Amino acid sequence: MGDRDIDKRLLQEMDDRIQSIKKAALELQELCGGIQAVYRNADRILASVKMLEINVSDVLDVL
Amino acid sequence: MTKVRGADVYWNPITETLPRDKLMELQLRKFQKIVGWAYEHSKFHRQLYQDAGLEPGDIKTWDDIRRVPKVEKSMMRQIQRKEPFPYGDMLCVPLERVTEFHQTSGTTGQPVYQADTWQDWEWWSEAWSYIMYAQGFRDTDRVFLPFGYNIFVAYWAGHYAGEKMGCEVVPGGVLDTEARILKMQELRTTALMATPTYVLGMADTARSMGIDPAKDLQVSKILCAGEPGASIPATKQRMEEAWGAKVHDHVGATEIGAWAYECTAQPGGLHVNEALFLIELEDIGTGEPITEPGRRGKLIITALDRMGQPCIRFDSKDVTAWAEEPCPCGRTFRLIKGGVVGRADDITKVKGVLLAPSAIEEVVRTFPELGDEFEVEVTKKGDIDAIALKVELRPEAEGQRESVEARLVEQLRLKTNLRYNLEFHDYGTLPRYVLKSKRFKDLRPQH
Repeated sequence: MGDRDIDKRLLQEMDDRIQSIKKAALELQELCGGIQAVYRNADRILASVKMLEINVSDVLDVL
Repeated sequence: MTKVRGADVYWNPITETLPRDKLMELQLRKFQKIVGWAYEHSKFHRQLYQDAGLEPGDIKTWDDIRRVPKVEKSMMRQIQRKEPFPYGDMLCVPLERVTEFHQTSGTTGQPVYQADTWQDWEWWSEAWSYIMYAQGFRDTDRVFLPFGYNIFVAYWAGHYAGEKMGCEVVPGGVLDTEARILKMQELRTTALMATPTYVLGMADTARSMGIDPAKDLQVSKILCAGEPGASIPATKQRMEEAWGAKVHDHVGATEIGAWAYECTAQPGGLHVNEALFLIELEDIGTGEPITEPGRRGKLIITALDRMGQPCIRFDSKDVTAWAEEPCPCGRTFRLIKGGVVGRADDITKVKGVLLAPSAIEEVVRTFPELGDEFEVEVTKKGDIDAIALKVELRPEAEGQRESVEARLVEQLRLKTNLRYNLEFHDYGTLPRYVLKSKRFKDLRPQH
């Protein structure tokens, strides 16, 4: 089987997952009631999510 | 899993092969966002833009980018040590969001402090991941970092990027050079990151220990930074021969980030990471934009996603030129020819001739009879400038001094249009450096 090309549909599918992770991490921060072990680790997830947005979601906007 | 085309070659084939019109559209959108963010969150930027009669909404086209005032390092020095301490009001986030402190080396004056949030620090390692992947680093590499892990940003992000990429990172922090070499041998490290000066110095030390880096160590790739050496063909060749490894360059700065990198195609230039940075080249004298290849100018750089202490239209003073050809590696990111050839404030007039210190290195390093170290001193005697070039003759070339001297003077004259007073020093007596070298000394009275 050959390699897959990058197309808008693929980026859209990835962006959907990225936004789901972001939503879940933000909800976790809301839910955690200030528990640092949850809040700070969710914060790290959000920093990684930002990198995913830079690499995928932001590009989707110009395709 | 079906692989995406290019996933083995590029850290991110989505951005690195994006058609140029799309890339420019992406950059414009990101530029609008970061200017808006800085205007909203930093007093410094808001005042700067208001004084220029500019609001973020005024930036609608690429031409509008040039309406945004540039930021110079001296402006950063003025606001620092004030509130919010110690960064001043360039900061766009509350202090409690800052997780990383670094500062510039102070080579050109008082050091500048740089704040980063954890997200910005992720962004630093992201930029380095683009670099390292393009240079062949993979999760099978055991990477040795022989640097001091301190307040200077240096290879910190290389360490974090190595971890992100799945490499095994060996921190060679407080060890001395001999201990570092022994550790590399003991662990069979496959990759190394250091300044060109230190790469050559380590090879020299290894040989004095009876270890030939090309044969007795297993380093196959070296990532250089901090000095232009890895983009100077003769210096690159010296390093590659000494280590039996591929040597690649990259450029970055504390206030900017790691913004350009050489790929394994070694095209004689560096790719600007246009997914993360917007790079403008402008005429050093007139400030007019340069878009055509081959004409040297200085770089104005914007980090498009650095949020804590943004870098927007920063006057880097780095001098380079666009390259002509697209790179055979397939990246659509533009290339700068021969890397950064110097800094606008390093390029100085000597005897009425413009001299870039890298041009001297380019000549000296083509002489195998000479050691790796050299020093240049410019002085003034009466009204006349004089340049002394201090070099070391290798012990095995001791009988060739006259021949070397004649050829060196001639090559320097051809390359730089200047005459030099050559001083031959005993091998091993000129200063050795671990990070950035200070080989060029302008000792003329400054007016």
